[in-house]
Amino acid sequence: MSNAPPTHAFSLRDLSRSFRYFRLDGLNLELPMGQIMGFVGPNGAGKSTTIRLLLGLIGAEAGEIRLMGRPVPEQVAEAKHEVAYVSDDMRLYPGATLAWHMRFVASLFPGWDGSYAQALLKRFNLQAEQRMGGMSRGEHMKAVLLLALARRPRLLVLDEPTSGLDPVARHELLAELMEIVRDEQRSILFSSHHTLDVERISDVIAFIDRGRLVDARDKESFLERWRRLQIDIPEGVTLPALDDVVEVSPEGRLARLTTSNYQPALHGAIERAGARIHEVQRMSLEEIFVASVMGSRTEERT
Amino acid sequence: MSGSVFWALVRKDLYLMRGLVIAIIVAGGLAFVMMGFGRIGFAVGGILFLTANMAGGIFIAMLSVLTERVKNVQLFALSLPISGAQYGRAKLVSSWLTYGIPWGALTALVVLSLLLSPEADRGMVVYALMLQGFMLASFSVMLATLFLVRSEPLSGIAILVVNICFSLFMVKVNQPDIMGLMRTDNIIWTPFAQLMVGGEVLVMIASLVFVLIVTSRTRDHV
Repeated sequence: MSNAPPTHAFSLRDLSRSFRYFRLDGLNLELPMGQIMGFVGPNGAGKSTTIRLLLGLIGAEAGEIRLMGRPVPEQVAEAKHEVAYVSDDMRLYPGATLAWHMRFVASLFPGWDGSYAQALLKRFNLQAEQRMGGMSRGEHMKAVLLLALARRPRLLVLDEPTSGLDPVARHELLAELMEIVRDEQRSILFSSHHTLDVERISDVIAFIDRGRLVDARDKESFLERWRRLQIDIPEGVTLPALDDVVEVSPEGRLARLTTSNYQPALHGAIERAGARIHEVQRMSLEEIFVASVMGSRTEERT
Repeated sequence: MSGSVFWALVRKDLYLMRGLVIAIIVAGGLAFVMMGFGRIGFAVGGILFLTANMAGGIFIAMLSVLTERVKNVQLFALSLPISGAQYGRAKLVSSWLTYGIPWGALTALVVLSLLLSPEADRGMVVYALMLQGFMLASFSVMLATLFLVRSEPLSGIAILVVNICFSLFMVKVNQPDIMGLMRTDNIIWTPFAQLMVGGEVLVMIASLVFVLIVTSRTRDHV
């Protein structure tokens, strides 16, 4: 292996894995160092499976995985020195205190930042001497996050960290995450089905649905390219097949056209066909996500 | 570096299980003392001694492997810089040590008492070693099963089967033609005793090898 620092926090090439009722199919995804990727998909889309494959927790049937420049699963232990993983279903030892967990993790990571851990303890309002078994779900998740962040990892993998939290705990957790993201130069893979959470912190967005990558690009590009047009299509007029139009659906007397690659030239094409554009709307990431997934499912069926 | 993580995981399990280890030693020790108080004391103490041994093994195997898996604490352990196979081996070593400490202490207590007490039949050392050997073999089988089986009901069935085997074993070793030969001042390794202890050692080795093969070949660790 070369000593040059890796250019990507991770890369997945043609990754496949089958289960009885689910298949992750030929997934290609990579995260350049220093970027924050929002990994968005509905429940059961394959987000956790992808992350577990990435970390060598489960094995792939085909494809290549590199984590911090190292092949997985062959060198996953070495790679994990620079990676911290937090999952919504991860639990700590219920009979041990948070202080014990902090000492335990500190003993394994030379880069453990004790003063940062103390600052996070205060910021998260956690009691170090409290046993994990007595902590609420939100406190537990904050404790897991503290243990991950104080390691100062180069890659932070967060699998649905806000799932199952009440709105207050979710807001607190995201606020702290935003703070951390602003302060730090690290790569983050943030998986969620809450597009609002993802939109707040991510540079790059990847959509996954039914085990297949639907789209992946930088957030601004997503928000710039997707548009929804309200158009008036008079009787007898039929729109021609237009490039990058994901959906045309009736909306009252008007029609709603969704495009994944908005260009001013689209106006001319619509108007030449005899239709009239009423309004061009920007779309939220959630709307883009839903349209993207629905478009992909329609494509799959045809 | 992975080596230090490996031993850190082993030490971690020993630390978290220390209460259970002490409880088994204390319960077994008290039961053993009780055995010195007449026939009833011997019977009740004997049952409690065996229960402390057997239940201790079940608890350690369950808490060490099954509970960690079911409660997803395993995800935290696997987030550390260790591979799934290394984690499995660390769990195997820590489980053996966690049970081995109280087992060793109680076995030593029984054997030394039999050897040093002027009133005891020294030949019963063989009986005690057969019994304690069975405990260790049962523990290793339960542990191996829990490494392989992922469902709680199946784990429960495995524990039940081991307990039934123990009852059958007790019926067999308490037959007068077997037990009678040991109630002497001489330590005699009868062919039956040799067969039993040899079988127990074989079961332990087979279970260990089985777990090592399973952990090295397992593709999915969660």
